[in-house]
Amino acid sequence: MEFTCKIAGQAGAGVMTTGRLMIKCFTRGGYNAVGYPEYPSLIRGGHNTVQIRVSTERINSPVQTNDVVIALNKDAVFYHMETSGLIIYDQLTDISKIKTRAEVKMHPIPLSKLTQEVGGTEQMKNTVALGAALAVVDYPFDVLEKIMHDEFDRKGPEVVKMNLSAAKAGYDFVKNNNIKSSKKLKPVSNDRKLVITGNEAITLGAIQGGVKFYSAYPMTPATTILHYMIENEKKFGLVVKQTEDEIAAMGYAIGAAYAGARAMVGTSGGGFALMAEMLGLAAMTETPLVVAIAQRIGPSTGMPTWTEQGDLRFVLHASQGDFLRVVLAPGDVQECFFLAAKALNLAEKYQIPVIILTDKHLGETVFSTETFNHKKVKIERGKIVKELPAMPPMTRWKRYAFTEDGISDRAFPGTPNGIHVASSYEHDEHGFSSESFSMRTKQVQKRGMKKLAALLSEIDPPKAYGASAKDAEVVLIGWGSQKLSILDALSLLEKKGIKAKFVHFNHIHPLDQKTAKKAVHGAKVTIMVENNSSAQFAGVLKECACINMDFHLLKYDGRPFFPEEIAEEVEKLKKAGYKGQKEIVIMEKDDLEYYQPSKYGL
Amino acid sequence: MVYSLGEIMVQINDLNVKEKSQWCPGCGNFAIVGALKNAFVELGIEQRNVVISSGIGCSGKTPHYLNVYGFEGLHGRSLPIASGIKLANDRLTVIAEGGDGDGYGIGSGHFIHIMRRNYDLTYIVHDNQIYGLTTGQASPTSQLGMKTKTTPNGVIEKPFNPIAAAIVGGATFVARTFAGDMNHLKTMIKEAITHKGFALVDVFQPCVTFNKLNTYDFFTKRVYKLQESGHDTNDKIKAMGKAFEAEATNYEKLPMGIFYKENRPTYEDSLPMIKERALVEHDLGGIDVSSVYEDLM
Repeated sequence: MEFTCKIAGQAGAGVMTTGRLMIKCFTRGGYNAVGYPEYPSLIRGGHNTVQIRVSTERINSPVQTNDVVIALNKDAVFYHMETSGLIIYDQLTDISKIKTRAEVKMHPIPLSKLTQEVGGTEQMKNTVALGAALAVVDYPFDVLEKIMHDEFDRKGPEVVKMNLSAAKAGYDFVKNNNIKSSKKLKPVSNDRKLVITGNEAITLGAIQGGVKFYSAYPMTPATTILHYMIENEKKFGLVVKQTEDEIAAMGYAIGAAYAGARAMVGTSGGGFALMAEMLGLAAMTETPLVVAIAQRIGPSTGMPTWTEQGDLRFVLHASQGDFLRVVLAPGDVQECFFLAAKALNLAEKYQIPVIILTDKHLGETVFSTETFNHKKVKIERGKIVKELPAMPPMTRWKRYAFTEDGISDRAFPGTPNGIHVASSYEHDEHGFSSESFSMRTKQVQKRGMKKLAALLSEIDPPKAYGASAKDAEVVLIGWGSQKLSILDALSLLEKKGIKAKFVHFNHIHPLDQKTAKKAVHGAKVTIMVENNSSAQFAGVLKECACINMDFHLLKYDGRPFFPEEIAEEVEKLKKAGYKGQKEIVIMEKDDLEYYQPSKYGL
Repeated sequence: MVYSLGEIMVQINDLNVKEKSQWCPGCGNFAIVGALKNAFVELGIEQRNVVISSGIGCSGKTPHYLNVYGFEGLHGRSLPIASGIKLANDRLTVIAEGGDGDGYGIGSGHFIHIMRRNYDLTYIVHDNQIYGLTTGQASPTSQLGMKTKTTPNGVIEKPFNPIAAAIVGGATFVARTFAGDMNHLKTMIKEAITHKGFALVDVFQPCVTFNKLNTYDFFTKRVYKLQESGHDTNDKIKAMGKAFEAEATNYEKLPMGIFYKENRPTYEDSLPMIKERALVEHDLGGIDVSSVYEDLM
């Protein structure tokens, strides 16, 4: 059983909060859920939506169409005429100028009136709508009642009462007026699951992984990592610092890591551009550092609240010079949790910068998921020394001593006999600036090739899903958040009778040639699916593992792939005998002029 | 912060290193390194508990020339690194070194904001009024009219006034000194380290190679000591007056010493999570995030 409902209204109307409550309602009833938000870079006005998709099956991605849309304003009615089966809207909304479609059932309900009757504020309209949405599928009200208590009890009985009566008003109105979706949903189990975004999962994973210091400058779509870190600051004894800019954020983290705390920063592409020089500083001084980057549309300010995978090449190459880094790209919230913890381990064990690359889609979409098995996280801090033998006078400790695996002991300030300088200049084993040609070559080898050889054993191979290589007629390849869309596309393809395999990369760099090659070995047709315009990861695979793609399926309009789009394009390719143009771009045919409904007489 | 010494006594020799200096003979930086060593010895600060963070430029090389922990970072970025070190381990004595180009030019954004935060650390700016390491371009504090490689017709930008900026910016200790007066330099550094809060020490530090205007002789003739002329360091308005005296007298009278001082809680003091033990001393063993799961269900 599957059901999709979208709540749409203007920014500032609390659509996101309502969406999350609704997801909790269904998750507590044993459903799997995805809550996908879309919003412009505005605080008030504009058009905000959250699509709540729930299912008894495992689901990962938003979809193109909705069973029900709750439209909180006129624009919301207009935009969803093509993608909804049933539109519930406020009866005060004048929809006379909107061309309705016969297939779409239209139900006005007195949203504003009901809200006023219970004495609610304008924002409370959402809560009335939430009640209405649950009633449409005949979902029991007491689930919501329990959640309202859990969420609002700490704010006092008045707040609980107000929210409950608002929700009940919407619920009862829909029931009494017999407004129904074709679907009915009942709780199916009592399983307890988490309802969490990618950014929150990264935060928790990092905390479990021992992060002690986090610094950032607010930037969408990474800001909620900062918010969630701060929310947990006292509970877990963290120091979280909002700095004057991203350069400072990374400087603080490098300073904290040098002093001995597990440190991390978070930003998006634009902020990371400012941090680029600091990334090289971490590499040169061999200071462990984790950078979480949630990608959004670029270049420049781009489209700040929309998703893209366009920064892969940037993070792979950012900062001057030639140095080792790790890039991890989690594919879902579970991977966010465990890779964040792993990133902290890799950073300290190898004394290198590690990047966690996500995007707006994974970072801000809400997912239901099993509780993270936090006991699986083991903190490994690598070579740290607390005691050292006395040094001869006027000599400093060899912080950058040459070793077999390129990794030297670290001593934190305060350690007796460990005095050294960490320098951004090329340096000798003590850290003293050096322009000796042989020292330079040896230090590059120490920081680069030697560490890389050891590091490769930690690089997980890509994971395969769906049909086996032998059975599959087509292999889809994706990295990072693409897992969400492609996994759901696999189920659609199966229904279409197309046997497909999916190979997912979440360890992006360094790439292990052997395992990468093995993962796509024997593929009849290969399609790289990426949210960018130049098939960046396809290029990486070609460069690092000599793997060539047959097709690139690309989308760069700000939204993730909808699984239907992937399935449709694969089906088309199959019909064409898997022949045709290599680059396939998903493009909206009939753009609704997102910000100009006036063009349509509205 | 002063440490109880027990049986350990820090001696000047312990702070020496064998590496040869890369500074020009006669450079004002030698005096700053010497004063730092003397300050540590006299304050009895154990060398392993000191970290010097620097930027890039001639001043940036400071951590290499005395035997304490050091971090030579990026141009203009000594303050963010020093701040991170302090927050991670507030039990350390943290000193940031900057230059006039480094600290007041490319890194000026950090300077403005660190003063609001009032971390307990000392910021020593090697102010030679010129870019030395890049061979003599105008800096933010170059005097009006001075000819440099980038200002062949003389500087036409009004020089930055770090003392006034620090008083306005909320620094809780603002001092100026001169590399040609070793005793005063050491005293100011000691006062700054002992001060609980953010302390700026702007040092007139002659660049013997590229600044032919602001020489040792130039300063010796013009500087006078605030603390010998009855200046009230608690009076912000009077401090501002003194901060503009150099400008008002066309650089004929250069006051040095402590301009302004106040007691304000430090940023670290307001962090309950590092009250009992420094962040780096937190145990990573018992972390259990499952305690927040209920809120997410």
